[in-house]
Amino acid sequence: MYKYIIYLFLSLIILNTSFAKTINKINSRVIQQKADECLTCHFDNESNNNEPAHLFKQDIHFSKGIACAGCHGGDSSKDDMDEAMDKNKGYIGILSKEERYQVCVKCHSDPNKMKSFGSNIPTDQFEKLKGSIHFIKSVNAVTPIADCVTCHSVHNIASVKDPRSKVYPANVPSLCKSCHSNPTFMKQYNPSLPVDQYEKYRTSVHGKQNLKGDAKVAECVSCHGNHDILSVKNSKSPVYPSNVPQLCSTCHSDKNLMDKYKLPHDQYENYKGSIHGEALFVKQDISAPACNDCHGNHGATPPGVESISNVCGTCHAFNAELFAKSPHKKAFDKLKYPECITCHSNHKIVHATDELLGVAKNSKCVQCHKNEPNDKGFMIAAEMKSLFDSLESADKISLDLLKSASQKGMDVSEADYSLKQIKQILIQARTITHLSDIKEFKDKMDEGFIITNKTKQAGLDAIDEFYFRRYGLGIATIIITFLVVLLYIKTKRIDKKK
Amino acid sequence: MTYKKKNQIKNGEKTRRDFLNILLSGGFIAWVGAVVYPLISYLRPPQVEVVKVNSVNIGKITDMDKDSGKIIKFGNDPVIVIKLSDGEFRAFSASCTHLDCIVQYRKDYGQIYCACHNGRYDLHGRNISGPPPAPLAKYEIAIKNDEVTVYKPSA
Amino acid sequence: MKETFNKKIYNALNERFQLDNLVSFLKHKSVPKYRNTIWYYFGGISLLLFIVQVATGILLIMYYKGSEDLAYESIKFINAKVSFGWLIRSIHSWSANLMILAVFVHMFSVYFLKAFRKPRELTWYTGVILLFLSMGFGFSGYLLPWDQLAFFATKVGTDIAGQLPFVGDFLLKLLRGGEDVTGATLSRFFGLHVALLPGVFVVFLSLHLIFIQRQGMSEPEDWKNKKESEKTTIPFFPNFTVHDLLIWLIVINILAILATFFPWELGPKADAFVSAPVGIKPEWYFLFMFQSLKYIPAKVWLIEGELLGILGFGLAGLLWVLVPFWDSKTPKGKRNKIINYVGIFAISFIIIFTILGYLLD
Repeated sequence: MYKYIIYLFLSLIILNTSFAKTINKINSRVIQQKADECLTCHFDNESNNNEPAHLFKQDIHFSKGIACAGCHGGDSSKDDMDEAMDKNKGYIGILSKEERYQVCVKCHSDPNKMKSFGSNIPTDQFEKLKGSIHFIKSVNAVTPIADCVTCHSVHNIASVKDPRSKVYPANVPSLCKSCHSNPTFMKQYNPSLPVDQYEKYRTSVHGKQNLKGDAKVAECVSCHGNHDILSVKNSKSPVYPSNVPQLCSTCHSDKNLMDKYKLPHDQYENYKGSIHGEALFVKQDISAPACNDCHGNHGATPPGVESISNVCGTCHAFNAELFAKSPHKKAFDKLKYPECITCHSNHKIVHATDELLGVAKNSKCVQCHKNEPNDKGFMIAAEMKSLFDSLESADKISLDLLKSASQKGMDVSEADYSLKQIKQILIQARTITHLSDIKEFKDKMDEGFIITNKTKQAGLDAIDEFYFRRYGLGIATIIITFLVVLLYIKTKRIDKKK
Repeated sequence: MTYKKKNQIKNGEKTRRDFLNILLSGGFIAWVGAVVYPLISYLRPPQVEVVKVNSVNIGKITDMDKDSGKIIKFGNDPVIVIKLSDGEFRAFSASCTHLDCIVQYRKDYGQIYCACHNGRYDLHGRNISGPPPAPLAKYEIAIKNDEVTVYKPSA
Repeated sequence: MKETFNKKIYNALNERFQLDNLVSFLKHKSVPKYRNTIWYYFGGISLLLFIVQVATGILLIMYYKGSEDLAYESIKFINAKVSFGWLIRSIHSWSANLMILAVFVHMFSVYFLKAFRKPRELTWYTGVILLFLSMGFGFSGYLLPWDQLAFFATKVGTDIAGQLPFVGDFLLKLLRGGEDVTGATLSRFFGLHVALLPGVFVVFLSLHLIFIQRQGMSEPEDWKNKKESEKTTIPFFPNFTVHDLLIWLIVINILAILATFFPWELGPKADAFVSAPVGIKPEWYFLFMFQSLKYIPAKVWLIEGELLGILGFGLAGLLWVLVPFWDSKTPKGKRNKIINYVGIFAISFIIIFTILGYLLD
C-alpha cells in the first residue's frame, strides 16, 4: 500500500520537473500538455519494453511538448490502457517500416506546424528524400532502404547540432558505416558498390579530425548530402565528376576556415584555370581529373612527395614511367621535390609548351641546372631544345617548299603525307624528354630529320622538275623553230625550181 | 664567160644547197633526239620505293620439324630456311644461281634442289651438281628466347 | 656515195614490187594552188594528230590500268612518277581535242569546197564515218581517267543514248555493261578505245587515203571549164609534202607548249554516290547538242522534248551525211547557194550553242 503511494508521489515529482522544463519552452499557442499518462505507465513498465520511454526523456520532441500520442496517436490523458490506446481516438501504435515515415512527414513537411513549435528547420526533407537513392531503391519496392528513423533513430531524437545526435557531424560516419560497410547488406542493392569508404575515410585528414570531434571537417553528409543523396552517376549529385571541384571548394576556398587548419585556399581558382579544369568544365569531359582523382575521395589526402608521379601516371603513364627511370626521380626524392609538380605545378597545370624545355631564362631546367662544367643536365637540356627547334624549323622549311611546289602545279601529295608524321614525332619527343636521356631523344629526332630531309628533297626536286619542263620545252622549241626555218627555205627553193 | 659564171653560180648554189641539206639533216637528227629522249625515258620504269628489310622473325624453334625446309619472304626476296636433323637452323637465298627459279629442300636427297634444271646444292649452299654456277648466298640465323630470326648477310 | 646507196635500195625493192609505176603515178599528183589551198592542209593535220594519238596512246597503255580501283591511281602515277609521263598524258588529251577540231574544220572545208561531189562521194562517206569514230574515241577515252567529271559525263551521255526509241534500252545496257556506270563500263570503254575503234578507224582511214591517192586532189568547181595549162598547181611530192611537214612540225610544237603550260587536269576520283559536280557539262564537241537540248520544252505535242531533240539531231546529221545525194546542182557545174547557206547555218549553230554552253554555266 505504502509502496504504491511512494511510487505515485515519485512519478508526480518527476512529471512535474519534466513539465517544468516543457512549460519554459512552450509557446502560447500550443496546447498545454497535461500529464502524459503514456509515458508514466511505460516508463515504469518493467515487464514490457520501457526503453523507449526512458529514451524519450532526452528526445527533442519531448522537450517541445510533444508526447507519445503526438506520434503514436491515442489519448495521452487517460491512464487506462484501453482508453488511452483507443483506435477511435487516433491510436496507430507502432507503424511498419513502410509507413512510419508518414508520421514524421505529417509535421515535418508542414511549415506552419513547424513554426508553431518555434522551429526554423527546413521542411523539404521528405521531398528530397523521395528523389534520393535511399528512397527509390528498396528490395521489395515498397519499403524505403532508409527512412527518417534509420538515421535519426526514434524516441531519443536530438538536434543535428547536439553532439548526442546520431546525425551530429562527428557521428555521421559511424551512422552511414552501419549499412555501407556491410557487404552482405550492400550486396542486395548494388554488389559493385565498395564497402570500404569508412576505412578509407578514417585514414584521411577529414576522418582523423572527425574522430577528434571536429564538426567543421567534411564527413559523409558534407559531400553526399543528407536527404537528397543521389548516385555518383547522376549529374545532379554533388559528387558527380564535374561537380566535385565546386563541392570541395565550398570549404577549401573559404579563407577563414582554411586559415584555421593552415591550408591554402586558392586550389579551386588554380584548378579552374588549369588544363584539367578546362577539360572538365569547358569540354565537359568527365574523364578529366577532378580533386578526388588525385587526392582520393574517401581517403582524401594529398599524395606523398615520392608518389606524385604514380598519381599523375595513372593517366600520364608513359611520362611517369620514363620519369621513374630518369636521374631526376632519385634526385627529386632526395631533395623532397614533388616530382611532376616541380615543373608542371599541381592545381594550376597549364598546357605544357616547348618553352619549359631548354636553357632559356624562363625554362624549367635552369631552375636547377647551371651552365657549369660538371652540370651534365644543363648541356643535355640545351642540346635537346636545340634539336627540337631544328626539327621544327626543318619541318617548316619542308612545308614551305612543298607548298611552293604544289602551287606551281607539281604533285607532291606523297611528300605532304609523310611530312604529317613530324607532328607525331614531336609529340613523342616531348614525352621522351621525361627520360632525360639524350640518346633516346636524339634517336627520335633522327627519325624526324630523315623525313624532313626526304620531303625537302622531294620539294626541291619538284620545283626543279617544274623548271626543267620549261627549259626542255624551250630547247625543243628552238630545235623545231630551227628546223621550220630551214624547211621553209627548202620549200622556197623547191617551189622556185618548178 | 656567162657559161662559166653560170656554172660558178650553179656550183655556189650547189654548195649552198648542200649546206642547207646538211643543216636540215642535222636539225632533223636533233629533232629526232628531242623526241626519242623523252620516249626512252618514259619507258624506263620509275623507281618504286623499297622498304629495306634487315631481319624477319620466322616463329618458334618448335614451329619447324627437324630435317625440313621452308621458303619465307624476306622483303622482296625468297629465302629458304632449313632445320637440320640435329636441330640446327640454316638460311640461304632461295633464288637458284642458274636462272632464278625458287629452290626447295629435298628430304630424300638431304640436299637443296632446283626443279627447273635439276640443280643441287649441299646443306652449306654450295652448288654440287647441275647447271648452277655459284653457291647460294648465306643468311644469318639468330635464336633468342626460342624465337628464330633470319638476318641479312653481313657482307 | 649516198646516192648510189639509196639507188641500190630502190632498185632492190623495185625488182620485187614494181615500184616504178607507183612512183611515176605519185610524181604526177598535184594540188590546186589558189586562195583556198590552205584548207587542203587540214586533212594532213588530222592525220598527224591521229598518229600522235596512237603513239602517245601506246605509251600510256604501258602504265595505265583499266580497272575501277586502279585507273585513277595509275593516271596519277603517270603524271607524277613516270619520267615525262605528264607530257605524254597532256599531249594525248590536248591532241584528242585538237584532232576533233581539225576533223571538223576538214569536214566543213570539204563541204564548202564541195569536194564531196562525184566522183568523191565514197571519200565523203568514209570521212563522215571517221568523224563519228573520232567522236566515239573522244567519248570512250574521256571515261578512262575515272574521275568525277568523266564518270558523270559518261552517265549523262549513255542516258541520252538510252532515250532512243526501241533500241535505247538495249543500247544503254550494251554501252554501260549493266544498268549503271560501273567498273564494267570502264572495261568496255577501255576495250573500245584501244582495240575496237583503232582497228575500225584504221580500216576506214586506209580506204579514205587510198581513195584520195587514186583520185587525186579535188579541184574547185569553176575549174571544170578551165584548160589544163590555165590551172596553177603544185606537185604533191615534194612541194606540198614539205609544206605539210612544216605545218606538222609547228603543230607538234604547239602540242608541247600546251602540255607544258596548260597541263590536263585530273579531278577527284569518281564516286557513284556523290552529287554531280556543279556546272557539269560534256566536252566541247558535244556541248552544242547538250546545250540546245536544254531549250526544247519538256513535252512537244505527244513526244518527250529531249527525245525530239535527239531525233532532230539524228535527222540533221543524216541529211548532212547524205549531201552528195541532194546536191544535184554542183556536179552539173552550177553554183549551189543553198549548200553554202545550210553550211553557214550549221557552223553558226554549233558555235553559238557551244559559246552559250560555256557562258550559261
